[in-house]
Amino acid sequence: MEELGLFLNAVAQQALPGNLFNVLWATLLGMTIGMLPGLTATLGIALLTTLTLRMGADEAIPVLICMYVGAIYGGSRTAILLNIPGTPANAASALDGFPLARAGKAGEAMGLATFGSFFGCLVGMLLLALIAPQLAEFGLRFQSYEFFWLAVFGVVISGRLTALDDPLKGWIAGFLGLLLAQVGQEGIHAYQRFSYGSVDLAGGFGLLPALVGAFGFAEILCVMKQPAYQAVRDVGGRILPRLRSLAARWWTILRSGVLGTGMGIIPGVGEDMGAWVSYAAARRASKRPESFGQGNKEGLLSAETGNNAAVPGAIIPVLTLAVPGSAPAAVLLAAFVIHGVRPGPLIMIESPTFVFQVAAMLFWASVALLILGLLLTKPMLFVLRVRREHLMPVIFVLCVVGAFAIASRVFDIWVMLGFGILGFVLRQMHYPMAPLVLGIVLGSILDKNFRRGMVLSDGSLEPFFTRPISAVLAALTLFTVLWGLAPVRKAIAARVRRSP
Amino acid sequence: MSKTPRADLWFSLVIIALAVAVVIESWRMPRFANLGIHPMSVPGLTPGALGAALGILGMALFLRSLRGRKVATATDPTAAEGWLRLASTLAFCLLYAVGLLGWLPFWLATAIFVFAFVLAFTWRARAAVRAILTAGCLAIATSAAVTLLFERVFLVRLP
Repeated sequence: MEELGLFLNAVAQQALPGNLFNVLWATLLGMTIGMLPGLTATLGIALLTTLTLRMGADEAIPVLICMYVGAIYGGSRTAILLNIPGTPANAASALDGFPLARAGKAGEAMGLATFGSFFGCLVGMLLLALIAPQLAEFGLRFQSYEFFWLAVFGVVISGRLTALDDPLKGWIAGFLGLLLAQVGQEGIHAYQRFSYGSVDLAGGFGLLPALVGAFGFAEILCVMKQPAYQAVRDVGGRILPRLRSLAARWWTILRSGVLGTGMGIIPGVGEDMGAWVSYAAARRASKRPESFGQGNKEGLLSAETGNNAAVPGAIIPVLTLAVPGSAPAAVLLAAFVIHGVRPGPLIMIESPTFVFQVAAMLFWASVALLILGLLLTKPMLFVLRVRREHLMPVIFVLCVVGAFAIASRVFDIWVMLGFGILGFVLRQMHYPMAPLVLGIVLGSILDKNFRRGMVLSDGSLEPFFTRPISAVLAALTLFTVLWGLAPVRKAIAARVRRSP
Repeated sequence: MSKTPRADLWFSLVIIALAVAVVIESWRMPRFANLGIHPMSVPGLTPGALGAALGILGMALFLRSLRGRKVATATDPTAAEGWLRLASTLAFCLLYAVGLLGWLPFWLATAIFVFAFVLAFTWRARAAVRAILTAGCLAIATSAAVTLLFERVFLVRLP
């Protein structure tokens, strides 16, 4: 009950006109960015972080969270109308959203996606308020050994789940990220690794310039390489779904919300897997699974509920373990640090109300999403009429400014360009970006905790495998690796077939 | 099975070369034995281990791509056009970020970049005036809006 009181108090505290104005414009901006193919939630949060540098944490963090929620939702519009996911998180929504639009039910599909996103965010928000304090308390038991394994497990599971058909590429991306994070001054003896006398390299690669490059510049290159998309003129039909139809699907909403949040919590997995897992569960539970992919409303609802539920889910490990649940959450983690918030297991001791403030921010963002999503369905079609040739140079200017503004270093512009080209090349070869980002974030955690652990154990690897939590994380990592190896999976399947 | 076996083969060689270089560089990092620090806290320990892990993954990719058959792909008639657009985009962006910025004031460099980019991609001989006007308006609007918004409203330094 104490938690409920803290949450309601935070909701009331944030219901000030100035705050609500910020919530509205940031959510609208997020929806706009999410709608535009090629612009992702990660880029939106990274660019907005530079704009909110001079704001206080109490103003800036709600703005960034609204951008996050708005962008993941906004991508559903493009998925439904153009069959192009606005963000990677909306790929599952296109499967049934686009057939619905082709059948003249685009308005209804967008209404359904709006309610799905709203409820998904609410379910995730409730789970965040319930789970985060417990997880933070559990995180207090973590020592160097556990943090080392958490970093390794994060990269391995992220590599496995974001590259389901080719986990080797996911792991290469993840370990490349970990390696790139080793450039610059290390945290124990202040030795400058791989810097070769360069003052800029000694500072390491900044997370935000790297992310702006990998998700901004790389996207610009991808979008300009592809053929242009067709503009949409009309949505047709009613927008508001029937309440009876929504009420009848309460179980789908709840299940997708819980699954989405769960996928969000897993390090580096994020919103797209939240949508896919929820979609797969809805299909399995359906009496007409063959209708999925042909305009099934339950399919669209489950995907949109799942991806928006993954947003609060991805914030849970950011708050409690300082480990991001997704690429946008990695930027949010960096923004928290910039604004003086110290995420990690101590959060419930140092700022016990912050978790509930974040839950309240998510509440207001979801309310704004519902209102703006339903009211501005037709006016927002204008966004999809903007030609990419007009939009992309403006986005690139913002990428340059965004990379530079954090530390006023020209080197960060070069980092953005370098990571943009690297991101583009990796994408062309079907390497996922999320493990790379997670690797860059977790590189420092892995390094410090590995060496501290080795010093504490006097060079013995034993505590890495014998302490209870370490042993569980090590076993999970091993299981994830084995599960990702095709020969192992085939051998298990053959054994299962042979057994009577 | 990978959809890009030939690219994987070359990329695996890059990864293996990078991993070997990282392991060698990590080995060459100082051990600070004269300072009496614990040998397990040396700066090269983690990068060396990560380099070795990346080398193993690169080797796995190499062996797999050797086994991979050539995938017959249909030639996309729009592919050449796409690569041309990509090369032009890359050239414009690099010219702006590495060449114009720092040499010209931010607002002018931005206006020139946006104007040139939009004009290059929307140029049609039959509607030249319209293309020039659109590019000009967008260039002025972007340059003014970004400069004012970042520098005056949000007090952010511009390159």
